[in-house]
Formats: sequence, C-alpha cells, structure tokens
Amino acid sequence: MEHNYNCILIRFGEIFLKGNNRNYFESLLIKNIKLALTGLNYRFARTQGRYFIEEFDPNDMDEIISRLTKVFGIHSISPTVKVKTDLDEICKVAAAISPKEGVFRVTVKRADKRYPMTSMELGAKIGGYMLYHTGGRLKVDLFDYDFELFVDLRESGYTYLFYDKIMGAQGLPTGCSGNAMLLLSGGIDSPVAGYVMAKRGLKIYAIHYHSFPYTSELALQKVKDLAKKLTPYCGDIKLAVVPFTEIQYAIHEHCPQEFMITIMRRFMMRIAERVARKYECGALITGESLGQVASQTMQSINVTNSVVTLPVFRPLIGNDKAEIIEIANKIDTFDISIRPYEDCCTVFLPKNPVIKPKLSEAIEYENRLDIDTLIDAAVENTVMETITVE
Amino acid sequence: MIFFDNASTTKCTESSVEIVKEYLTEKFYNPSALYHESIEVKKGLESVRNVILKRLRGDGKIIFTAGGTESDNIALLGCKKQKGGRIIVSANEHAAVYATAQELKQRGYDVVFAPVDNYGKVIISEFEKLVTPQVTLASIIHVNNETGAINDIQSLSKIVKKVAPKALFHSDGVQAFGKVEVNLRQMGVDMYSMSAHKIGAPKGCGALFIAKGVSVNPIVFGGGQEGGLRSSTENVGAIMAFGKAVEERYTCLAETQAKISQIRAYIKQNLSSIEGIQFLSADDSSPYILSFSTPKVRGEVMQHALERRGILVGTGSACASNKATSRIAEALSLKGKYIDGVTRLSFFIYNTLDEAEVFVKEYLAVYKELSKYGA
Repeated sequence: MEHNYNCILIRFGEIFLKGNNRNYFESLLIKNIKLALTGLNYRFARTQGRYFIEEFDPNDMDEIISRLTKVFGIHSISPTVKVKTDLDEICKVAAAISPKEGVFRVTVKRADKRYPMTSMELGAKIGGYMLYHTGGRLKVDLFDYDFELFVDLRESGYTYLFYDKIMGAQGLPTGCSGNAMLLLSGGIDSPVAGYVMAKRGLKIYAIHYHSFPYTSELALQKVKDLAKKLTPYCGDIKLAVVPFTEIQYAIHEHCPQEFMITIMRRFMMRIAERVARKYECGALITGESLGQVASQTMQSINVTNSVVTLPVFRPLIGNDKAEIIEIANKIDTFDISIRPYEDCCTVFLPKNPVIKPKLSEAIEYENRLDIDTLIDAAVENTVMETITVE
Repeated sequence: MIFFDNASTTKCTESSVEIVKEYLTEKFYNPSALYHESIEVKKGLESVRNVILKRLRGDGKIIFTAGGTESDNIALLGCKKQKGGRIIVSANEHAAVYATAQELKQRGYDVVFAPVDNYGKVIISEFEKLVTPQVTLASIIHVNNETGAINDIQSLSKIVKKVAPKALFHSDGVQAFGKVEVNLRQMGVDMYSMSAHKIGAPKGCGALFIAKGVSVNPIVFGGGQEGGLRSSTENVGAIMAFGKAVEERYTCLAETQAKISQIRAYIKQNLSSIEGIQFLSADDSSPYILSFSTPKVRGEVMQHALERRGILVGTGSACASNKATSRIAEALSLKGKYIDGVTRLSFFIYNTLDEAEVFVKEYLAVYKELSKYGA
C-alpha cells in the first residue's frame, strides 16, 4: 500500500522561552506562516507546542517546506505520515516508508499516555514488523544507525511517522520586536543586515535614495528585487524611495569634495529617521561593517550617527566581507547585489573621501546648506511602495 | 516620444505587423510538413531567400537564424577552419563576434584583433600586418554598431585572400543590410550576417549568407531545417516580414539616406558648439549613426535625463564598471572622462528633421544644466 507524506509538522523554537508573551508570539508566528503560504491550498492545525500543515496537494509539499524554512521562529520541519493511532496501521506505514536496506532504529514518543504500551515496547514492536516485512535487508542498531524512524503518538488520537528533521530559519517571529527602517542601498551588505535583524523579530521597512538621472531605473529595480528576495523571510516590505539628486547637488556645490559622502550620509540618516518615525519604526538598520570603506570608520560612523536619536542597528559591524557574502548567497541576494548599476553612493564620489571626519567640520560645512528645506522636499517627494511576498 | 536608438532595435513597420499576424493565424503551418498549406509556406521562405540574395548581390545560399548573434556564431564556430590557424577580428567588433572569437581563442586558435582609428574604422595598414599565410578566418564588421564606421571590406578581403587564399572572410552586416548598398561579389565576402529587427521587422529573426563552395557545419542539431545548418522550425512570420522589410528599405534607400543624412548633419552641426565635444562618427560613416562623447556629462546620465524629456538615445557606456563597453572606448582610444561620455544616436525611417530640432534644443538645455556638476 502506498503511503504519502500527508502532513507537515512544524516545531517552533525560541518562542518557548518567552513566558507570558507566548500567546502574542504564537499568533504572530501563525500569521507569518499563513502569509508565507499565500496562494497554496492547505489546512492549518495546531496542538500543544506543534503546528501541522495538512490536506495540501502532494505536488506542493516541497514548495510548502521551502517556504516554511524561511519563516523566522520555526525551529524545524518534518514531512510526516499522519495515521490514526492503531498499531497495525502504524506498523504498515513504517514498513512502507522505510528504506529497504541499511541499519535503523525506531524512536517512539508517546505523548498519549493512555496508550497501553510503553515507548520501548512500541519501538520494539514496530521495528520488529519492519524487519519482517521489508525483504530482510534491514538491521537494527540503536546506537550506530543509518536512519532513524520517529513515531510520535499524540493525545489527539493520531500518530505521526517521519524520518527527516529539516532545520527552520530559527530566530523570532518577524514583527514581534517591532518595526525598523532598513537603509537599502543595492549593495551586498544592506539586504543581509535586513535579513539578520528580521531574524530577531523586527518587521522591516526599507528606504532607498535615488539619484535620477545619475542612477537608472534599473538601479531602482535592483533595490526592489532585493527587497522582494527578503519578503519570504520578512513578509511584505514597505519601501520608501527618496529623490536624492537635489541634496547631492547642494552638497556638491557648497561643501568640500572630501566631505561629500560624510554629509550625504548625514542627510540619509536624517531622512531615514523622519520616515521611520512616520511608520512607527523604533530603530534604523544599516549594513555598515567597521572599516570596510571610508564612510564606515569609527569616526565616520560617529559623525553620521550623531544626527539621529533613534537607535541604529548595525548587525554586520563585526563581520568580514566573506561572512556577509556567505549570508547573501544563502538568502539569494548576492547575484542581484552585484548587478553593475550605480547607486547614489557612487555618483559624485570624491577621489579622496575623508576617512576620519571631525564632527565639528561636518557641522560647519553643512551649515552652508538649508538643511531643513532640503530634507522637507525630499521627504515630501518620497514615494512609498509595498513589495509583497510572491 | 523621440526614438533615436534605432541601432538597438526598430519599431516594426505596419506591413511587418500585418504579415506576422497573417502567418501566426492563417498561414501558421510548419514549412517542413508535406501537405499543400505547408508547401505554400515553404515557398514563401524561398522567395525571401531570393529577395535577400538579390539585394546582397551574392552567389550562395541564405539560412534563416534567430538573429544576428546566431548568424555570427554559426559563421565563426561552424565554418571550416585550419586547426590552430589565425583568426583576425576587429578590436571594436560587436560582442556577437568578439565573444565568439574569444571562445575560439580558448579552443586554441590564434585570435588577433585589428586596431581601428578614432572613428572605429579598421586601419588597413595595421590590418595588413596581421595577415599571415596561417590566417584561416577574418571577421570584420561592415558598419560598426557604435560609430557607424563603414569598413572597406573589399580591400580587407583582398589582402586576406592574397596572402591566405584558403582563408574565409566573414562580415557582420547587421547595421548595414537594409541601410546601405551591399555588393558581396565586389566585397569578396564568404559569409555575411543580417538581422531583421534593425530594419523594421520583428526580433528573433536573422539570416546568414554562405557563399557557394564554403563549408559550414551546424552548431545546433535537430530536425535538419535550413539545410541542416540551423535546426529548429523557422520563425515563418518574422522571416516573411523580414523579406518585406528588405524590399521596402531598398526600394527607397536613396531617399531614406538623404533624409537621415540631413537629420544627422543638423544635429552634428548644432552640437558642435559644445565645449570639448568629440565626434566618434566620421563624415563618411553610415548616416544612420551619430556617436559623440562629451567630457562633462556621462553618457548614461545624459540618457536618463533625456529619457525624462521623452527622448530615447543610446549610450556607449552603460557604467564605468561595465567592462564590455570599456573595450570599445579603448579601441577608439578614448581618454579620461571621454570614456564614460559617449552618446549614440541612431536613426530610422520614422525620424524627422522636426525631431532633430527638438532633440538639439532639449539636449543643449540638459547639457547646460548637468555640465555644472561635472561628470
């Protein structure tokens, strides 16, 4: 008899630790799971400490698992065969889904304590049946085995049989830590920073500075594509696109060339904070990594940081480029990030940007500009777009 | 909308659209089938081959391909070559030839690049130095896609055939066919690539001329269409439209050239006042292309700024980090800020002098604005 994997078991991780807030975390996690599975037919079920995806089209199973592995807060996932708790049926399924040769063990978990046999007895019984009904090429070894069959007897009267435990994305359910505004440039680092912070439960908003005609529509599309890649992890992302050319012109005209980037970044931070507050974001996120470029030295960060009061999360501050690229590859943003379009940070690039800017100097040069008017205009002309999960 | 990027592609003519529609709906039959309807379609393809051959003034055959790039690939990769022999291509060939030549280099051929002058034209005396008896293939673009330079294919081919009589001569005619007169007998060309969408017919269609007696092996295998040289069911509608476009373009070639030359001359004259402007298209180049570089505004920035004003132009340099385009700048010996400053205007039958006037006005205004900030 053919037995299909008919149920996907979801275990959730860290949110167990959260005591009284558990209901809140769980409701968020469930919401995120449902958002991730948008467009697919299935039934969602839950018991104490477990979620189940059932009644799906068997052809969708891999797709469902792939999407679930991107939902933060999930510890692991297993495709299972769900059967009524009936020993004969359990044994038949176990034999049917078992590989036909190799060394195995059966691990039984009996949450349903009403069942008249112990876990050990059940394991022996099921294992015995498997040995007898699979052609005689299986062996049992409880310590040194090739595969392990898990048999989970739940109080609901159903039993779940499975082999695989697929690791989930871990972390906390997106949104449980509040909202934060990610400065998304189009480079390699910023999407990774967004991913890393989303993992700690932040709902991500993104802001991008566009310098038409110095940057192209393709550069903007690149940023949207990057945001799209983050949505399986973060859910829908609201993206603010800020016209930045006028500010760059003003800085270019009135400030020393070597301070171009420093002052530009101070404007970016100010605008990000303004937009962040509008969308109730409690923090800014940047992809800065200490010392990577001139604008990411400790002195530069001090000068750019000093214009905002919201906390600025820099999750990659201690990472090497190679480590960042590894995550970028994992979340599939790297290939987009290296598309060769200029972003607003590379136009008007001075030959020798100041590496250790002094705050007093930055303020002195900046005072030549009508900062408030420039920022008001940029914020007013900012276009919001929602990047949705596929 | 003013479209001055016709070297990249052209809008399909109304006749093309009608023909494609007819062949997608009424005459949709597979030309390889044996019933009457298909035979009629096949006859149609043959008539287009004849139209093209007549306009090429060549003795040989035409095979239909998926476009200029595929034609170039079949020519360079498929033609019979002496193992390890020398292959000459010009330094500013279109990527379809340049990248294929690089591939042949990987396969052990001695690939050399013929230098070009500041207008993108192969320097005959320099080319001559590269020609040895070991030459097995030369591929020189007829009309250069970046600058419009018209290469003296006849002289180049003569030089090759004199020193290496067995060598084959290929020319990429994608920017030439349908736009300038072609005479393959005179030019001494063995293989010639063409594209449909540069002359008002659909994308996804091209042709390769193969001279009589020239042996070419397929690079795509399958059902054996196009004499086994390009398996795949023919893109019938596009081919039929291509045939019509060829006829239309050549029927009024002189008038079109005169009109477009006027547009080009007007623009060139009016942009000459820009400080430091360097024209990359010589006066004797194809009238359909006018390339120039300015030191103060990058080509791409200008492109985007003009785009906002409803004018679409081409650019020589997509981005400073784009190596593919710095090759062309290098070949043309562009220096410093001129490398990124290239704008390419390219014209087609639809363009008018009125558009040229609007363009000049807008261009000068944008240039004045943007040049304040430097490249």
